[in-house]
This record gives sequence, C-alpha cells and structure tokens, in this order.
Amino acid sequence: MNDRLRPVMLEQAVQDARKPRRPLLARRYALEIRQQLAWYWQASIIGLALLVGLGLSAAILVAAGVPAGELLNEFVVLTVFDLQSLKAVLFQASPMILVGLAGCMAFRARFWNLGLEGQMIWGAIGATAISLFQIGPEALRLPLMFGAAVVCGLAWAVAPVLLKLRLSVNEIISTLMLNYLALNFLLHLLYGSWKDPRSSFPYSPQFQPFERLPDVLDGISAAVPLAVVVALLALWFLGLSRAGLYLRFVDANPRVAGAVGVPVRRMIVATVLLSGAMAGIAGFLVTAGQEGRLTQSFYQGYGFSGILIAFLARNNPIAALVVALLMAMLFVAGRSLQVFYQIPFSMVQLIQAILVICVASSDFFIRHRIRRVQGGES
Amino acid sequence: MDMIANWLGNTPDFAVPFALAALGLILTERAGVLALGAEGLMLVGALAGIGAQLAYGTPGVSLLLAMAAASVVSLLFALMVIVLRINQVIAGLALVFFCQGLTGLLGTLLEWTNKPVRGLGAIELWPLSELPLIGKVFVQNPLVFLTPLIFLAVVWLLTRTTTGLRLRAVGENPQAADAAGISVLGYRLVAILAGSALIGLAGGYISVLSTKLWIADMTGGRGWIAVALVIFARWSPWKALAGALLFGCIEALIPQLAAAGIRLPQYFVLMTPYAVTLAVMIWVASGKQVSGSQPGALGVPFIREERR
Repeated sequence: MNDRLRPVMLEQAVQDARKPRRPLLARRYALEIRQQLAWYWQASIIGLALLVGLGLSAAILVAAGVPAGELLNEFVVLTVFDLQSLKAVLFQASPMILVGLAGCMAFRARFWNLGLEGQMIWGAIGATAISLFQIGPEALRLPLMFGAAVVCGLAWAVAPVLLKLRLSVNEIISTLMLNYLALNFLLHLLYGSWKDPRSSFPYSPQFQPFERLPDVLDGISAAVPLAVVVALLALWFLGLSRAGLYLRFVDANPRVAGAVGVPVRRMIVATVLLSGAMAGIAGFLVTAGQEGRLTQSFYQGYGFSGILIAFLARNNPIAALVVALLMAMLFVAGRSLQVFYQIPFSMVQLIQAILVICVASSDFFIRHRIRRVQGGES
Repeated sequence: MDMIANWLGNTPDFAVPFALAALGLILTERAGVLALGAEGLMLVGALAGIGAQLAYGTPGVSLLLAMAAASVVSLLFALMVIVLRINQVIAGLALVFFCQGLTGLLGTLLEWTNKPVRGLGAIELWPLSELPLIGKVFVQNPLVFLTPLIFLAVVWLLTRTTTGLRLRAVGENPQAADAAGISVLGYRLVAILAGSALIGLAGGYISVLSTKLWIADMTGGRGWIAVALVIFARWSPWKALAGALLFGCIEALIPQLAAAGIRLPQYFVLMTPYAVTLAVMIWVASGKQVSGSQPGALGVPFIREERR
C-alpha cells in the first residue's frame, strides 16, 4: 500500500509504536475532568460497578458459610420464582418504595434526610395511637391511622429543615440526633404505658382486624397498591408538577433559582416535609400491614435503605421503584439466610454498603479521564 | 455528697472516648477531609479491641490493635475520597454503614458478643487522690491520664511543627500548598490514617476499658456526637476537650441518678446526650458567626487538573 494513502492517525500510531517503550512506573498520568460521556458508557460503567459489588458480596457470603452453589438459588430463584416469596418481596417492597421516594424527595431539595427512621417511628406511633385510644368509628379507623402517620412523620421533619434554613444547623447531625430521640421515646412507650399486658415482649397490643391493612388480592396486602399510588403521586410531584420543575431549578443552583423568582425556601421546606410524611406512611405500612402492632425494631434497616435507594436511583422516582424492589429481594433473602444459615441480618447492611461504595466509585470513571502524559519531560 | 464525688469520679471515664474521637476528627478535618465516618470507625476499634482482648488479654496490645484496625478500614475511606474523589458526605456515610454491617456480622460470626473481658486496673495519682470530693477524679485507668498527653502531642504537632503547618495548609488552600511543593494527597492520606487511629482508640476504650464487652452498635451515636463536638469546638483541640468533658458529665450523671433512687422516666434520661447535642448545635449556630475557624477546603476533593 502507498504510504501517502494511509490516514494520518495510523501513521502517528506507527511512529508511536517505533519509539522505545517506557517502563510502566516512569510513565506519567494526568487526571482530567470529562465534560460529557455517552449514556451507554455511563450505563456500562455503573453496571460493571454493580457486578463488582455483587461479586464482592458473593465472596463474603461464601466466606460466611453459604455454599457457593446455593447463592443464586437463595437470592434469585427462591425470591422471584416462588409464589410465597414473591408475595413476601412485594410486601417488603411497599415500605421500601416509600422510604426510597422519601430519600429522593429530600435529596432533590439538597437536604440530607438521615432522619427517615425517626420519621418512620413517629408515623408508626401516630397510627398506633389512633388504634390504642380507639379514635373514630371503625370504618374510618384505617384512614385516620394513615392520616395520623402522615402528620406525625411530617412533624418530625419540621425542626431539622427549619433549623437548616434559619440557622444553617447541619441537617445530618440534627436528623440523626432526632432519630435517637424518637427511638428512645418509642422504647419509653413500649416498655411503659403502651405495653401489651398479655405479652412478655415490649409490644403494643394487637390491632383489631379492621385496623390492619386487608388483602386486596389473594395474599397481596393493600400495602402494595397504597405504596404504588403514593409513588405515582410522588412521580407526578417530582416529574410533572410545577413544583417539580421549581425543584429542579433549586437542585441545579439555589441562588440562580432564587434570582429568577422560584420560592426556594418554601420549596425546600415543602419537599422535606413531604419526605418526612412519606417516611411516616412507611411506618404506618409496616405496623398496620406487616406487624399488626408497634414493636421495638420494626424500623431497622429502612433509614439506610431509603438513602441507598435514592442514591442508586440518582434521585429518579421511576428508577427508585426498581431499586426498591431489588432491595426488598435482598431483605427477603437476608431473612431466609438468617433462618437457614444463622447469618446475622447485618449481612444485608454490609452488602448494601458495598453496593453503594462500588457505584459511588464508578462515578470517578464517569467524571474523570486518566491520560498518559506524552514524553514526561514536562 | 457521695453522689457528687462518684459523679465527678466517673466523668473522665465517659469523657475520654468523646475527646479522643473528636481529636482524631480534628486531625483529619484540618487536612481538609470531611470525616463523617467516626461512628463506624469507633465500632471497628471497639470490636477489634475486644477480639484482641479475648485472644491475648493484654489491654495495651488490644488498644494498639484497635487503632490499627480502624486505620486499615479507613484506607477504604481514603481510597474513596483521595483517589476516587467521591463526594465526602456520601463516602463518610457509606463508611459508617459499611462498618456497622461488618462489625455486626463479625461480632456474631466470631462469637465475640456479650463475652466479658478483664479491663485495666486503676492508677491513683497519690497526693491528689486523697483530696475531698474531687479525689476520685484522680483514680482512673492509665489511658485517662494519657489522654491530655495525647492532646498535647497533637496540638504540638499541629501548631509547632512544619508537618503540622503543611497539614493545615493542605486543609486551608490545597492549590497553594500544591504549588509550594507539598503533596496534598499524601498529607491527606496520613491525616486520615492518623485521625482514624485515634478514633479507633476511642472505640477500643469504650469496649476494652469501659464496658468490657462487645454488643453490636455499642457506640450508640457517640461518633456522631463527636462530629457535632468538633463543629461546636470550631476545630480547636482544647475546646473539643472541654466539650468532651461536658458530654462526659452528662453521660456519667445518668447512672448516678438511677443509683441515687431519683425516679425519672429512664428513656427520657437516655435521650439527654442527643438532646444536648442538638441544643449545642443550635446554640453554636445562633451565636456570633466565628469566621475563619473552619478549614477552608473542608470537604472539597483535590484535583490538579493538569493540561497537557
């Protein structure tokens, strides 16, 4: 082939290849910020990160004593293809979807709501109070419990958001401290005046049958459609409403948003309060749907799950639905591991943390490019 | 009278973990790394300390291993914030959840939960320990007496040495430090490792010397309180020590109230450290804004952005 017909780039490559190779450590690398990366590259990087995270988790599970051959069975086959487990997953998914959406909401307003557990606890306390003191007629009892959960969850989010906006108190610390306050108040009730005298455990009395969420379809609790409806409302709020549009302004740049006339503070307060309300509903779903009474540890694991779902879903409500379903699978599988292999439930939290770390790390490769510096004399 | 003497005598024991954790956080944050992972690293230190204590039974070795374990785990945090430049809030939270899961899992699988260990005996500072009322303050385990010395050493390092000056420069203005030929990432790595060792020591103190056994999530938010304490102390070690004593007083008062037979709702009493933390945060925020005390580049990842 004629040399002149070769493309210039190929020529360059040939010349590079003729140069003496530099040893690996003598090469210099520079980090650059990427402006843009095609979506399919982004997706494959995140997918790869998830695979790495799942691989690490599998290795830890095997090290903890789960036979390697059983992993797929335990996590996929028995959770999705078994009707009983599938119902359990859907059931588990309903509070998960709500805390995930609550996380999304708060993050959209640039608010680190680590108080999801406290808001859940208060939601559950509110719902239980309606049942315990028999407020309202029987037919209205469930809606009243729902309303109480909304109000209580919302109320527990008022202080941190106002403190942040008025005094710029760090919301990470304030919401976490409020979690501990809520938890101790829950224990105060359960070991004190709300304890069921017929039980030796710190449980509240059982709810009446009409105070529990009924099954809509054979074996599928009303919690599932309820969660879906709330999720659709959240979708409308974040995606279609004027408030959602404002919120995207606020998320992108609060100052510019304020300058063009978006009520920034009011938007932030409203969104964070809604986030608290959704966490409260999640508390209602767990108590009235799953447990049928107030217990001392019903909220465990949901606070982190909510944040994790929002983070993995990039604050996108539709993606949050999918991630929440996957988290519910993880929870159900974790419970069965607890029963069959005596593996503590902390395993679930460890796997969640590993997934977050892997996906967060993948962000580095999306946002930066590593270039080899030519020559190295500079 | 007896109650007050006991209360004061127990205060240092409760204050030391807060003090050491806050000091570790200050060391890390002065280099510009926002360290939210204290709660998790304390748990790692606590579990490692108990494990070593069950295996060897030498408290000194156990505490050193607690420090080493927290440092090793903090390498993960260093990887996330120094190499991968992840948002430091996310990295810190992920670290806490990772450590909570890891220690909960290991504590159960290795069967270290609820197994009592032998701690360290108390030393009397003789003439002082005979004083009325405050005498019991001077009958403590050796690490309590060591804590002020550790504080002195860290303060000397930060304010009187070139290393400390460079570390603070990295936290205040990494670009300038980089231009002056200081390795920003190297200093941040060392600050994370050293600070985490101190936080691990705080955790080891709780499990090996204070409660003398391991329970999952036994730090109960003390790491978060230490984070708040650092903000309250405006990144100054001596103010953090004073704040730690305040929280030590509050925590030491809880068992004393019960012992004195004062009937208060138990769980409301247990809320006090958290409520006080909130109150202190509000008080600090509503006071005069002291500018310039927060490290200038706190929480900002460093990237040199070399052009070809």
